[in-house]
Amino acid sequence: MNTFRKIAPPVHSVEKIDFIEPEHQLLPGGTSFFTLYGGTQEVVKLDFSFKAGTWFETSKLESMMAASMISEGTSGKTARQIADRIDFYGAQLNSLPYYDNNYVSLLSLKKHLPHLLPLLAEIIQDASFPEHEFEIIRQKRKQRAIVDAEKVGLVAQRTFLRSLMGESHPYAPVSSPEAYESVSLDGAKSHYLRHYYSANATLFASGDVDAEVQKMIVDNFGSGWGTPFPYKKDQPQVQSAEEKSFFIERESANQNALTIGKRVPTQHHPDSAGLKLLTTILGGYFGSRLMSNLREEKGLTYGIHASVVSFVRDAIFMIHAEVTAEKTQEAIKEIFLEMQRLREELVPETELEPLRSFLLGRMLEDFDGPFARSQSFSSLYEAGLSVGYFDQIIHTIKTTTPEQIRELARTYLDPETMYTVAAGKR
Amino acid sequence: MIQCDKTILKNGLRVIVHTDHSTPFVAVNVCYNVGSKHEDPIRTGFAHLFEHLTFGGSRHVADFDTAVQMAGGANNAFTSNDLTNYYITLPANNIETAMWLESDRMLGPKFTKKGLDVQKKVVIEEFRQRNLNKPYGDVWHLLRDLAYKVHPYRWPTIGLVPEHIASATLDDVKDFFFHHYAPNNAVLVISGNIGSSDAFKLAEKWFSEIPSREIAPYPLQTEPLQTTDRELTVYRDVPIDTFYVAWHMGGRNEKDFYELDLLSDILSNGSSSRFEVKLVKEQKLFTEADAYLSGENEPGLFVATGKASPGIDIHLAREKMLEEILMTTETSITEYELEKVKNRVEADLLLNEIGYLEKAIQLASFEIMGDAAEINNQGRRYLEITAADLLKTASELFRKGNRNTLNYLSLQNSKK
Repeated sequence: MNTFRKIAPPVHSVEKIDFIEPEHQLLPGGTSFFTLYGGTQEVVKLDFSFKAGTWFETSKLESMMAASMISEGTSGKTARQIADRIDFYGAQLNSLPYYDNNYVSLLSLKKHLPHLLPLLAEIIQDASFPEHEFEIIRQKRKQRAIVDAEKVGLVAQRTFLRSLMGESHPYAPVSSPEAYESVSLDGAKSHYLRHYYSANATLFASGDVDAEVQKMIVDNFGSGWGTPFPYKKDQPQVQSAEEKSFFIERESANQNALTIGKRVPTQHHPDSAGLKLLTTILGGYFGSRLMSNLREEKGLTYGIHASVVSFVRDAIFMIHAEVTAEKTQEAIKEIFLEMQRLREELVPETELEPLRSFLLGRMLEDFDGPFARSQSFSSLYEAGLSVGYFDQIIHTIKTTTPEQIRELARTYLDPETMYTVAAGKR
Repeated sequence: MIQCDKTILKNGLRVIVHTDHSTPFVAVNVCYNVGSKHEDPIRTGFAHLFEHLTFGGSRHVADFDTAVQMAGGANNAFTSNDLTNYYITLPANNIETAMWLESDRMLGPKFTKKGLDVQKKVVIEEFRQRNLNKPYGDVWHLLRDLAYKVHPYRWPTIGLVPEHIASATLDDVKDFFFHHYAPNNAVLVISGNIGSSDAFKLAEKWFSEIPSREIAPYPLQTEPLQTTDRELTVYRDVPIDTFYVAWHMGGRNEKDFYELDLLSDILSNGSSSRFEVKLVKEQKLFTEADAYLSGENEPGLFVATGKASPGIDIHLAREKMLEEILMTTETSITEYELEKVKNRVEADLLLNEIGYLEKAIQLASFEIMGDAAEINNQGRRYLEITAADLLKTASELFRKGNRNTLNYLSLQNSKK
């Protein structure tokens, strides 16, 4: 056997990541337009984001139904005609609702853009919200919600979010599939008219976006559409539940879902990057404390993860796992024990060093190719951050000390502040 | 077009390199010609359990994950009915770490009683999470068992029952390794920011000393021609009635695979597909309606499924879907529909050429079937299909006697 096998080959650390910002122009209609040129294939991706998420709803599910209705008809075309054109050119059109922003994206071969861009413009600028399509989608969504209500994992996460934010908070998911009965066509349409206008849009174009494609985009989306809506909303009150521990019974479950966590500061807070590092150590990668303990050591779960979910106006620290039903209490105990260890003990450098390299590698990945770069920059700008935030993350990954990590754990992983939701068999 | 170079080492390892300088990364992908179809029917789920075990270290590597992390990389694996595939992605200048790890895994993992005991528990939790604790999670257990009587596709990769996994011993594990994990039963694909000659040199350096091994024979188990339609009805604790109908079709490399892929697109891919337009929107019989291929290398299944709209009888809905399907055996699809699905294939194939890891995984899979270069014939094989081909193949597929129907009904609804 060759002797070189006995020791690990030398490794090079990631030295530099190019955070070259996308080209920017403000279109006459007020849309902020970013371009990321690159890639190996003649493919273009357009991503529109509108400040139109659940945050802006006047009542629940309007935002989701508005997003679903975008491609379901315009004053000149039926849903079927639109679908037929998109499918004929082999393109992918997605309209997705989310918490702060809603998205409309198109992925297409460059050669079909002359046919597809006018259609995309028509869909976004002139959606007609036909009633027939609305009812079909409402039923489809409701049925999906009925099935989802049987999945203990989703039940635990949604209950957790509702307890943390309060039932009526815009980030809180609806509590029952019956909510779909009360969302109205008018509500969804008003939501669209109020929020899907040009000055409320940001557009990222990535891939083979040469001068010709840029011109096409400006021709179709430059001049503006819709009426700016004077948006004024009171900051919704977060109404966290008094009770911090919940058990949702699902008698037939043979695994129980656990969601544990709390609200934490947003990405604008100086601790944010460090908190993300702490969360990764606890449960953010395969070698994390929770995975090592609950999966690789005890075999209690197929997977356990900790993450920080960042909204624009809030952030949530969350641990989630599905565990052997009869071992639920043991799993909860171990999870709190791992948090306690981080509060009390210093993370050894032998654990931190591979983690630092791993995270730098993931960071490099986030900027590999035009589509990944587009995603990274759009999340950055959406959160209202500047490119310096990436440097701050790199700095945090490279230099945070075990003492600082322990201090962060003491600040943010206090067991008294944690909400614990279990769903399954008691 | 995905350019690739190939060589074969003396021990039989096939090495394929695809260069892509647009990324700073490389992927080192090792695919073994062993999947759940190679398992003993009384010890199913073994190939997948084994995949879990190989992450517990090897002869010269104490800890795989830490080594990958130190190199700024990420790693994972998957097992299917046909194969087991491992990959590491990492910055190109750290490629030797991946070569060290994957060659050492091939040389011989470190099997311990403790590692086996823990991974058995983890896999049983996976079984529960995906198949037992999720609504509709056991559909493929039932459907495969109904459709196959002989062929090992009759059980899913996770295994027939958790007990098979629980009963695995350390001897079984070692035996499995030496009969399936060998350079002469594997394909190494290196893709990303590296040239062929450098990649071949590294392959030689790290893999050439691994001895070739005697591979367990894989007996040809042809599923006998099905001549009578089969039907199974089960009641489960789920909120909504559904059904799955499956017909036997050809393997991944057969002409009908490509034809039926297009046919399933015509029926259900995209909002302008026949199912979506007629069954979901016009007749409002379904909230979801789908047709797809199971997609294995050997002869697989063409599957149609749907969830009926509230208040619609599931049997009526199923009959209407079958009518829609059988129409393809009587009337030619239009040239417009054919052009539409071919355009989609063209776009999808081009999009598949973007990610360096996805390309590596596909190249490996094609090489396991016989020839990696076949990946570049995909476009041609789709484009040469005519409407007449589809009519003929649909008639053969949807013939009487070839159908397997699983009615998956809600226990709650049946009590109402």
